[in-house]
Amino acid sequence: MKKTKLGVILMLYASIACASLAIVYAFTKDSIERQSEIQLQTSLKEIFPQASTFELVEDLTSPEPNIKFEAVYEVKSDAVPLGLAIKASGPSYGGNATLLVGIDLHRSIAGVRIVALNDTPGLGMNASNPTYYVDKVKKVTFLGQFEGKYIADPFEVKKDVEAITAATITSKSLAKIIKTAGDAAIAYMDQKVMMASMEVEKPNGETSIVAPPTASTGFPIGSSEGKSKEKIPPQAGGK
Amino acid sequence: MDLGKILLLSMLVNNIVVMRFIALCSYIGMTSDLGQSMGMGYAVTFVTVLATAATWPIYHYILLPLDLAFLQILVFILVIASLVQLVEFYLKKNIPGLYAAMGIYLPLITTNCAICAVTFENITNNYNFIQSIVYAIGVSLGYLLAMILLAGIRDRMKTSPVPKFLQGTPILFMATSLIGIAFMGFAGLIK
Amino acid sequence: MKKLYSIFKQGIIFDNPLLMLMIGLCSAIAVTTNVSNGIGMGLAMTFVLLFSEIIISLFRKLIPSMIRIPIFIIVIAAFTTIVDLVMKAYFPDLSKSMGVFIPLIVVNCIIMGRVEAFASKQDLLSVIADALGMGLGYTWVLVGLAAIRELLGNGTFAGIQVMPASYEPILFFILPPGGFFVFSLFISLNIWLKKKMEAAARRKELVSKKEAA
Repeated sequence: MKKTKLGVILMLYASIACASLAIVYAFTKDSIERQSEIQLQTSLKEIFPQASTFELVEDLTSPEPNIKFEAVYEVKSDAVPLGLAIKASGPSYGGNATLLVGIDLHRSIAGVRIVALNDTPGLGMNASNPTYYVDKVKKVTFLGQFEGKYIADPFEVKKDVEAITAATITSKSLAKIIKTAGDAAIAYMDQKVMMASMEVEKPNGETSIVAPPTASTGFPIGSSEGKSKEKIPPQAGGK
Repeated sequence: MDLGKILLLSMLVNNIVVMRFIALCSYIGMTSDLGQSMGMGYAVTFVTVLATAATWPIYHYILLPLDLAFLQILVFILVIASLVQLVEFYLKKNIPGLYAAMGIYLPLITTNCAICAVTFENITNNYNFIQSIVYAIGVSLGYLLAMILLAGIRDRMKTSPVPKFLQGTPILFMATSLIGIAFMGFAGLIK
Repeated sequence: MKKLYSIFKQGIIFDNPLLMLMIGLCSAIAVTTNVSNGIGMGLAMTFVLLFSEIIISLFRKLIPSMIRIPIFIIVIAAFTTIVDLVMKAYFPDLSKSMGVFIPLIVVNCIIMGRVEAFASKQDLLSVIADALGMGLGYTWVLVGLAAIRELLGNGTFAGIQVMPASYEPILFFILPPGGFFVFSLFISLNIWLKKKMEAAARRKELVSKKEAA
């Protein structure tokens, strides 16, 4: 008799605990889910500041078996494509790492942001540390060094890519994820013939994004007096 | 991640005691005697693998599908505590030889951070079942290794001139720091 | 009131859980690579300790001794989960950088130890004093460790650059062996402090005895 009484008391405590947790979970669940959404939107906006919409792309998958593309977005500024953003995850030192890689139509990297990283604090985690610089003079962070880098360029860590001190494995894993995402992106872009838009200066001094020149129009619409800020990139194949 | 890499990383490069500070309480407390250290190491290995085998399926086939992932901490720790009790009863009754070797350490293991950490990390690292078991084995062997090393060092230190301000526990942590520096050399094993 | 204050004081230096009682070490050294993590962990641990002690003290007459350990575990695990969920919802960056150490609060020997030794036997106000004292003792060590490690190993304090730009950070302090090294010196310092305080207390006693005679 005593044993069942003990068992019942235990069950009671356990049930109260679970019930309280369920309440707290219900309160925080939306906030937790929103956090990842907010973070994604913020990162996308940081990489592509002129973007207005991000459309999900369904038909781009990773060529590598252990690197997954969790989501691929086509980045547009009012219907003018700016590039692709790939949320890619792959193995790193402490489990999986998830990065948001932005590739612009020049076939170079627009920016990289960390979505999830589980490496050693003070070492691998420095990849997400905004005050950790791989180049202390120019104040370039580990991920910052990829901005503007052409994907066709070599990506060897310690030769072309600066590694994080004492975190070579993390540096190599992250560089691999970025390169895989980049390669897949430019293959996709070539396939869909996405070319860079141009930034054009309007007569009143403002800049606007216009569609790339087509064979019929030759020159961007609405820029008869405009000065183009960027050269039209060569055809598919990067640099 | 391939299994050999997981084993090497968890046992040497990322040694749970000297590189990740986990399971320090038992590490400092039990290494005064080599026999105790080994018994504790075996017990930890045994329980960690069992705990992994129990908690991994519970998470993936019960908690996750029913959207009860927030109960993970509660469920895991209760499973581990109950498991340890069951193992103790079973050993006492059926395998007294084994119980004599490591049974007394079992109650101490309930709050051993290493076991708890391994069961949680199997989930956050997204390991499949086999990877989880290998990880559990690797971590526990790393723990055993660290225990044996410190026990050996403590034995030597009984006859060494330890500076006054480091006598007692401070010198043990200094020793661990040096072991850690040595272990960092293992990082070159992984390409 | 004086009794409460003496309980509170105990956990800060004399019976400092990390430096003297040697419990709860796991989460302590690992999170001290920077000050924000140190403060975060200190607060999280104090929260779980405080509320676990409160609940168990309030219910201490209703907890049968035979099943007290599982009940303690349930209570501690519940509060740990609450801290985990709240951090994930409102402090996601801190939660991510602390990783597995938040769930590890549930096996933090300090909480289990205090609950078993103290909260299950004492009244509400005493356990609040005890929890706050132990929590403070835990947090000051964490912040102290983190301050040294971050300052010397990264030149920053809670992310703010403090050392001059020409300072070349000594990576050793951020690495695990550095953590053990600094911790070892902290213990040594605390032992010295304790000896000094005990000597002063003994001198006071002798003086008052002399005066009484």
